[in-house]
Amino acid sequence: MLTAKNIHKSFGELEVLKGIDLQVEPQEVVVLVGVSGSGKSTLLRCFNFLEMINSGEIIIDGKQINGKKDNLNKIRAEVGMVFQHFNLFPHKTVLENIIEAPMQVKKKKKADAIKHAKQLLEKVGLSDKADVYPSKLSGGQKQRVAIARSLAMEPKVMLFDEPTSALDPELVSEVLAVMKQLAEEGMTMVVVTHEMRFAKEVADRIIMLDEGRIIESADPKTFFENPSHDRTRQFIQLVE
Amino acid sequence: MPEILVTLYEVLKRTYPGFLDAVVITLQLTAVGVVLGSLLGLFFALLKLSKSKPLQWIANIYITVIRGTPLIVQITFLYFGIVEFVTLSNFWAGAIALGVHNGAYIAEIFRGAIQGIDKGQSEASSSLGMSKTQTMKRIVFPQALKRSIPPLGNQFIIALKDSSLVYVIGVAELFSIANREAAQSFQPFETYLVVGLYYLVLVMIFSFLLRLYENKLDVDKD
Repeated sequence: MLTAKNIHKSFGELEVLKGIDLQVEPQEVVVLVGVSGSGKSTLLRCFNFLEMINSGEIIIDGKQINGKKDNLNKIRAEVGMVFQHFNLFPHKTVLENIIEAPMQVKKKKKADAIKHAKQLLEKVGLSDKADVYPSKLSGGQKQRVAIARSLAMEPKVMLFDEPTSALDPELVSEVLAVMKQLAEEGMTMVVVTHEMRFAKEVADRIIMLDEGRIIESADPKTFFENPSHDRTRQFIQLVE
Repeated sequence: MPEILVTLYEVLKRTYPGFLDAVVITLQLTAVGVVLGSLLGLFFALLKLSKSKPLQWIANIYITVIRGTPLIVQITFLYFGIVEFVTLSNFWAGAIALGVHNGAYIAEIFRGAIQGIDKGQSEASSSLGMSKTQTMKRIVFPQALKRSIPPLGNQFIIALKDSSLVYVIGVAELFSIANREAAQSFQPFETYLVVGLYYLVLVMIFSFLLRLYENKLDVDKD
């Protein structure tokens, strides 16, 4: 579903990703962990080309990026992204946020887009908020709307960039519940998170990044109980 | 009633037919100035924000030259200076000069507002597959426009008052009429006070409308 081959990415002099190889299978849930600065968010942002890689290849659902704008926007439309700070459009209502891209990019009819949006709002438990502006929502509600907005494009892969890091602790679980439900429905997901319980319960595979390299890639049980790398062991001690 | 108020009232009463006609011309000049200025401002703001260096230079040259020279010079230049190439009526020379002049300031207002929109907005929009043009038109610019309204309102008030400079090319706007009236009546004190009052009232009405509009925007969204 998503293949990264020998990804290198630098910001000026600083090399953030030093040759990443990663294969995400359909319906797989991969959790990326690592200390701050390890490159996990950058890697995620490379997957939908918010950051352009310096070398390597990214193949999504068999389609390789060819550098043309048209191709880029098409591939992006197939990769959903949920951000730490939600990035909802504040000048649009919840419903308008969700129907924007289906109407503009997929040229869906308004009635169809609204119908789909309402189903998605029901799925994330916010049917009653369709007509309010994002500023009236709590952080957890905003993030659930952001998830619905991404799903409205019917993406093949969903990327989550620390989706609960900006939330008050009591609002984390409502977002994780929606993500868990998505995983159970078979969505292919790549998640950067510090929520180790979520990783344990939901991930098929946990990948540890350290200084721009993948140093550990294992199922949750092996990852937590029998990691192969010292740095992973240290990391687990830090977060648990 | 003090004598001064009586004379003022008499001047007001005597001059209002001429002044009201002049108010219409002042408002027309201002309207052309702000509409043209806003279009030019948006155009040059986008040039300045483009990735192309030559386009950025063009915008920088426009902004530097226009902000660096007095409006009165620009007005007289457009009316008397380029007469060999194009002849403009004095109204249009003045209105275009006002537009071009305000465009330079409005370009900076728009540029700042667009740059001030959180980068996450365009990232979210791109990640949904929206093109750069769609992102600017539907996500970034509407938010930037809302933020531009207070400084734009300020600029419109400046444009309204600056339209008085067009008197130098003989457009029959408020200040020209006031000059004529003051000379004919030998009552410069009262006449200039009265014309000041006209501008003050116009600015107050405009500020009031602007505040209503700002409040309406806030009630809707925040």
